[in-house]
Amino acid sequence: MQKELMQSKRTPSAFVLDPRTKILLVFIGSTILIAGSAGGVMNVIRPALALLPLLLFLMIGRFKTTIKFALIYAAAYLMELYLIPLTSGLIGFLIVALSGIFTRFIPGLAIGYYLVSTTTVSEFIASMERMHVPQSIVIPFAVMFRFFPTVGEESRAIGDAMRMRGIGFSVFFKNPMAMLEYRLVPMMMSTVKIGEELSAAALTRGLGSPVKRTNICKIGFGIHDIILSIVAIAAFIGFLLF
Amino acid sequence: MITVGVFTAIYFVVFFACGMLGYIPIFMLLIPFICPFVAGIPFMLYLTKIKRFGMVTITGLICGILMLITGMSWPPIFTGLGFGLIADFILKSGNYQSSKKTITAYTVFSVWLMGMMLPLYFMRDSYFAAMVPTYGQEYVDALMSYTPTWSFFALTALTILGGFCGALIGKSVLKKHFKKAGMA
Amino acid sequence: MIELKNVSFSYSQGQKENGLHNINLTIRQGEVVLLCGESGCGKTTLTRLINGLIPNYYEGSLTGQILINDQAIHKLQIYETAKMVGSVFQNPRSQFFNVDTTSELAFGCENRGLPAEEINRRIAETVSDFKIDMLMDRSIFQLSGGEKQKIACASVSTCHPDIFVFDEPSSNLDIAAIEDLRKLIELWKSKGKTIIIAEHRLYFLRELVDRVLYMKSGRIEKEFTAKQMKMMNLAELSSMGLRPLSLESLTRDKKNVAQRWEDVYLSNFVFSYKNITPAIKIDLLTVPKGNIVAVIGHNGAGKSTFARCLCGLEKSCKGTLDLCGEICKRRDRLRRCYMVMQDVNHQLFTESVLDEILLSMGEADTAKAESILSSLDLLPMKDLHPMSLSGGQKQRVAIASAVASEKEIILFDEPTSGLDLRHMREVSDSLKQLQQMGKTLFIISHDLELILGSCTHVLHFEKGSVIDSYPLDDIGENKIMSFFIRNAQEPADNVNSLCI
Repeated sequence: MQKELMQSKRTPSAFVLDPRTKILLVFIGSTILIAGSAGGVMNVIRPALALLPLLLFLMIGRFKTTIKFALIYAAAYLMELYLIPLTSGLIGFLIVALSGIFTRFIPGLAIGYYLVSTTTVSEFIASMERMHVPQSIVIPFAVMFRFFPTVGEESRAIGDAMRMRGIGFSVFFKNPMAMLEYRLVPMMMSTVKIGEELSAAALTRGLGSPVKRTNICKIGFGIHDIILSIVAIAAFIGFLLF
Repeated sequence: MITVGVFTAIYFVVFFACGMLGYIPIFMLLIPFICPFVAGIPFMLYLTKIKRFGMVTITGLICGILMLITGMSWPPIFTGLGFGLIADFILKSGNYQSSKKTITAYTVFSVWLMGMMLPLYFMRDSYFAAMVPTYGQEYVDALMSYTPTWSFFALTALTILGGFCGALIGKSVLKKHFKKAGMA
Repeated sequence: MIELKNVSFSYSQGQKENGLHNINLTIRQGEVVLLCGESGCGKTTLTRLINGLIPNYYEGSLTGQILINDQAIHKLQIYETAKMVGSVFQNPRSQFFNVDTTSELAFGCENRGLPAEEINRRIAETVSDFKIDMLMDRSIFQLSGGEKQKIACASVSTCHPDIFVFDEPSSNLDIAAIEDLRKLIELWKSKGKTIIIAEHRLYFLRELVDRVLYMKSGRIEKEFTAKQMKMMNLAELSSMGLRPLSLESLTRDKKNVAQRWEDVYLSNFVFSYKNITPAIKIDLLTVPKGNIVAVIGHNGAGKSTFARCLCGLEKSCKGTLDLCGEICKRRDRLRRCYMVMQDVNHQLFTESVLDEILLSMGEADTAKAESILSSLDLLPMKDLHPMSLSGGQKQRVAIASAVASEKEIILFDEPTSGLDLRHMREVSDSLKQLQQMGKTLFIISHDLELILGSCTHVLHFEKGSVIDSYPLDDIGENKIMSFFIRNAQEPADNVNSLCI
């Protein structure tokens, strides 16, 4: 994944989904895939949903990602199929739990990854504003996405400083709490300071005004959105009924 | 508002980093302790900056949503929201000044992560029922005995313990560093 | 028109900055005013009065009136003041709210609820005015410091304020980026905007300012017209604690003679990021030992990357350092080199200055630590938390821990960005002290004054290689002056810029 977790450039592609559709897919996908109910039409719906992200990635031409996820799926599935009958006892339990987690969470993760890697932060914010999510939630979200890379940058710089000053594993073993302190405290101080400066800069550009914010991002529903939404809702109804 | 964003980012990154440790099977069971423990340090700093109602609730909600996006199911949204709200009430009752209330608030808030475990327990019946055809009833019975309902409460207790210790550690780090540096 | 009538202010939370006493000031429309003075004189506080951060964001007790066009802005909410005043701050990294550049330009207008077409029109206008077309639609995290600062200026510009306030905008910029900044300010001046700048580096504003206000201890001590200031000589400026008005007037410290007894050899340094082209490629570099070596070059030439490689921080960098016969590979280099980083906050870890020094020592020796502290004038602060100190003091703590580490090679990445004259000279003295202890120092800097005042040798980087290496004697002085002055006049095109 890129440093920034979300896109910052808008990559042009014929297959574009409105962020709200993607959010819908994530919600429904996660819910159904984790519940893991048995029987009936669900045996068709669940694998179909699991394959959905692969299809989505293919549609935008990201072949490497598609293959990566396909391999992970295969690994998890095979693990469930073959390893479990071979083991027993505590290890068996752990493996069951692990493979269960994998098969349940990975497809959800894949849909989530699709959302995150194909949406710019601005589009995400714009779609939340369109859905009338209050400012007090939208702004923290925006700030948070903007800060993830910053936390990463600061952390890395501090890690470098630690290596250079010889604060490494030897300290960790003698005094793990100190290590934790060295790792976290400077990062927090630095990040908070940047946060304060950012607040000042944002306030001097009018943030906090009671006026409703506009957004220059263009988002809207297209034919793909409608199709996928119908499919998702149908799957959900199927899930509820069975 | 920006404060909420900044601290939620720090908290989530630290939390998630600890969570990654959980993919090592042995540590998986310790996550309910480790995550709140380590993440206590940034969170206690956050709590010193909170002067308005609702900030922790929003953090809880955002963490829940992030959990959903990373594929961990939707219950954390509700637990995040719920426990965040309770924490906000606790903080408000202490007028944002009480030290004990901040510790309590964080301990209570930390329980939100059990939302991630919920599906494993409450959907168990359907989960295990689905396994019967593949693994056989006997095996499933044995498995069910390994994950008794009481272990859910054990993990919750672990979370509370982790949260409490994390709050204490956070407080001491605050005193040691942030108060001296004039940032808390 | 801006008026300050009998304004006094003191911070409530004991901030490092002092307050202001009895400020009376009138600034006419279209004037360009420079606020200068030593660190802590109150110039930043004054800018905060004008853009509304005081009293809305920074709390304290405020008396007096602040009027913009007869409106009492100290009674307004900050988003109201924001319509009239735009602000650009010191640190390019902490001003952007969005992740991509286009949204950042739209940010201020979006906050005011302007319709999308209007916003897009304003963005197009600003982009063409500033000529920043190639910066659009990009991730801000990948821009260089100078580019980020340009985006910050553009973002303020789209809000169309009449007054611009700058708080040390050139602190983190190199020579070329400062020239770009100067052009922006020139553009705004030509449009009749009122501009107030608090700054240490004066040379780039020489032809732009109308009036200069010299501040000290929270008061406006002296006032000059631009003409009066230009007639002042170096000694007068120096006595006020101000940096020179022109780069050409600087000369090197001739007492600093480069000694060349032994050499240090760097061989086969190759390093690249994920790109195919190597970011650093040095076949053989000879550097005189025990010298203070300036590392200069354009932004993106590879200076910081070189420092990280030399220091052993870049794991994939292969290369050896020959230190008087001892061959050092990466791990050895990590042990023999110490780097004082650009952002001092990244390398202070403990809760007291004394502990910070002890951390660098293998064996904790309190007496020795204290003597190091006293040699750097830090002993009175030994029990204070490092983060509670001022920028200049933190820098000295970092230097002290470098000394305590007893490593022979010490690298400095922009040690004087944002420091005023007095602190820059303190750093310069510390460097010379270190040199006398026999250490070899590498200083990455675009502070010409620092280089001329303390360095004895120069390495000139371009595109990852050393294109010139010369001692700082008379010939060397000419070379380095021409490099800096040429860049002040025609900045290079930074297409391949990496982040600072």
